[in-house]
Amino acid sequence: MNVEPYVKNYLSEHYGDDSFQTLAGYEAKGGFAGLRKALAQTPEQVVEIVKASGLRGRGGAGFATGLKWSFMPKTNERMKVIVVNGDESEPGSFKDRMIMERGPFEVLEGIIIGAWAMGAQRAYIYVRGEYTRAIRTLEAAVKELYGKKRLGKSTFGVKGFDLDIVVHSGAGAYICGEETGLLESLEGKKGQPRKKPPFPAQHGAFGLPTTVNNIETFAHVPFILDRGVEWFKSRGTEKSPGTTLFGVSGHVERPGLFELPLGTPLREVLGHAGGVRGGRRLKGVMPGGLSMPVLPPSELEVPMAEEFLSQRGTHLGTGGVMVMDESVCMVRVATVVSYFFRDESCGQCTQCREGTAWVHKLCQKIERGRASDADLALLSDVPKLMEGQTICAFADAAAWPIQGLLRHFRDDFEAHLREQKCPFPESFEL
Amino acid sequence: MPKIAIDSVEYEVPEGRTILQVLDDLGLLGNGVEVPHYCWHPKLSVDGSCRLCQVEIEGVPKLQIACNTPVANGMKVHTKSDRVIAARRGVMELLLINHPLDCPICDQAGECKLQDHAFDWGVPAARTTEPRRPAKKAVDLGPTIVFDQERCILCRRCVRFCREIPKTGELGVVNRGDESLLELFPGSELDNPYSMNVADICPVGALTTRDFRFKIRVWFTDDVESVCNQCSRGCNILASRSNNKVYRFLPRRNDAVNDTWICDHGRMSYKKNSTGRLTAPRADGREASYTDAVKRAGELVRAALDAKGKIVGVASPFASNADLAAFRDLLAALGAGPARFSVPRGESDAILIEAEKAPNAAGCRALGMVESNEQLGRADLALVLGHTLTAEVFGDVRNIVLIDTHESALSARATVALPARTFLEKSGAFTNSRGLVQSFSAVVEPTIEAWSESDALAQIAAAAGIA
Repeated sequence: MNVEPYVKNYLSEHYGDDSFQTLAGYEAKGGFAGLRKALAQTPEQVVEIVKASGLRGRGGAGFATGLKWSFMPKTNERMKVIVVNGDESEPGSFKDRMIMERGPFEVLEGIIIGAWAMGAQRAYIYVRGEYTRAIRTLEAAVKELYGKKRLGKSTFGVKGFDLDIVVHSGAGAYICGEETGLLESLEGKKGQPRKKPPFPAQHGAFGLPTTVNNIETFAHVPFILDRGVEWFKSRGTEKSPGTTLFGVSGHVERPGLFELPLGTPLREVLGHAGGVRGGRRLKGVMPGGLSMPVLPPSELEVPMAEEFLSQRGTHLGTGGVMVMDESVCMVRVATVVSYFFRDESCGQCTQCREGTAWVHKLCQKIERGRASDADLALLSDVPKLMEGQTICAFADAAAWPIQGLLRHFRDDFEAHLREQKCPFPESFEL
Repeated sequence: MPKIAIDSVEYEVPEGRTILQVLDDLGLLGNGVEVPHYCWHPKLSVDGSCRLCQVEIEGVPKLQIACNTPVANGMKVHTKSDRVIAARRGVMELLLINHPLDCPICDQAGECKLQDHAFDWGVPAARTTEPRRPAKKAVDLGPTIVFDQERCILCRRCVRFCREIPKTGELGVVNRGDESLLELFPGSELDNPYSMNVADICPVGALTTRDFRFKIRVWFTDDVESVCNQCSRGCNILASRSNNKVYRFLPRRNDAVNDTWICDHGRMSYKKNSTGRLTAPRADGREASYTDAVKRAGELVRAALDAKGKIVGVASPFASNADLAAFRDLLAALGAGPARFSVPRGESDAILIEAEKAPNAAGCRALGMVESNEQLGRADLALVLGHTLTAEVFGDVRNIVLIDTHESALSARATVALPARTFLEKSGAFTNSRGLVQSFSAVVEPTIEAWSESDALAQIAAAAGIA
């Protein structure tokens, strides 16, 4: 993996510099300027600034960050907790890893600003277990801050501002990236999303008022505080300001990360990645990780921001752009996708537990050339039984990509029925 | 109090309750308003996972689960809209794709919520041709419960029961997704004083009691309301009967007494109705007809009265209030003092089980009877109900007239012994430890000549010539 994105912007400007992961190096590049400005203002003012900036969560749902922060109770009767979601379990996503490994202090500065704004006394950074380097980097950065007495009692010298930060390693389940599944896992329980109500802001980690934000979301915060709302809003789109680290993978010449303003047309994102490999034709793009419906090549002009993608039946998700060329069998893709979601469903809700397995069995049957028209009809119907009816959005995430593939690549499915075999000999191995 | 509308009917409901709780409070659930559910149980924490109880709420885009949605003023709930019915059908179809559908050989058939809801909301034919998920069959989870893993729909009621009521936590769901399985935790077995309740709350045929399974099809039984007589809690029960035989006890919900539970000991006590019974009347050491035994008892009473001898009464905390009252009245007519009684005692817990191992000690006390286990001392005649006192206590008593349900050392020692009806063979009432007077109905007829204590006492009094 490269140590820095191919295309850099404010977030990743110094990711190529090894000293940026040390406190001295970070401060030499102007680090903590945002925090100092935040500490000079009241917590309420900081929440208002984040609200005014229009920052949207970068974890997949795109929820307004400032609004989320304002849900936290204003009183201090119970300890308030920030949980930072570094689980990054969405296939096709690898931006948070880069941020944690190369910009740990950006994340920590954002957390400290968030803690000031929300009155939190503890922050847990929940990092995907496989990300050992990210865990080590964050732990070292936290240790450095404690060593300089910048954390704990009187954080950054502010009396009465006591913040502790804990780096916690996950144990490897997709569902632990869902915010309440993550909270269960953090508490040492089986990673299963919680029913709502109660919502985390009232009853989150260890029963305490909690706000969960993604790693990248926090990394943007110091820049907003330091450079101002207008500066931030001048990047990206009106409804989705700022940049993001698009992670492009699959059949492109130069897979990797590209920090680009939100709203950059998909064609341009792919252009940065060198276009489709070997001059082949593009077949489809999953724009935001495995759970987001595929886009056909006719949609290449779409600006990569939630408000435009949702008009086309898909979502920005995590900005993990997965590119498939003409050799790809979309039934095979459906089989892989449905296998993943079958394997990762936590198994609580009926629709998800039973539906994911059924969908996978149907995809497998079609791919192996043993299916009938009835099976294809079922593959259209079963995801409808799953959508929008479960404790968390996992069942949606499992249903949507199948629906997307059927919507745009029905020919592939029908060809399997007609020929009673897979007509794509060159496609990837199952 | 918030006002809500359920299917366009307005109700005033308490704050802070969920839609299902409110329906339950109002007595509407399954009784005018159908909101089917598997994982929700009124006495357990909310799980929210079966998704069958989804309802439509005006102004809320997605369907919501009634079990976890708090009521709010002005809320308009719809339980039978097209979207709701479609969601129910979806859940039922998905629950059935891996269910073995072995109803003809499943002991839950007839009282199975999967059958019931499939009948009401299911799709008429399976659309899946995939093989069904195989799993373990007829596994012993412990001494009382047999588990069929294939039939389990993973509602986790049993898991929550073990964690929340006996707080023993033997069960959990392992693995993820469609590989999820209900299992015992390694090294444990389901063996706690309340274990058999999991069979009651299991909505399907996954958990059945070893005692009842395959004894009889439930549609051949009918259930009669009764009260458990094994301790002073007085848990409300249903007795399932068929062919004048009791097949099982089930807990009957009473939120003031036993919620929806009973202990395993109480549940199994139905067997006492047919074992160790005092079946033949006896007089002077020999079997006698019921009429002759009553006649002999009358003679003993008359003789003691005529000789101005001492008559003592020993009551039983297993007798009903009516029988105890008849006993008190007879003793007063005979000029005897208040009856004594004795209560067997044992272990108790903070859930249901109480230390007094009899159902009606409070009834004895209420009638002025005196608790004592001491020697009766010299007496010409003891009139005795039941055998809660040992035979030794009667050392200096010349004659004993005993009316009892079961054989004991005392029935062997008694001058006259008359078989009595058990609480399952008569109607009556017990007063429990909290002073609640709880009535029970006759479930079966006795298979021998036996009368209730009050009837037997009236016959003896008549035989003794007492008006």
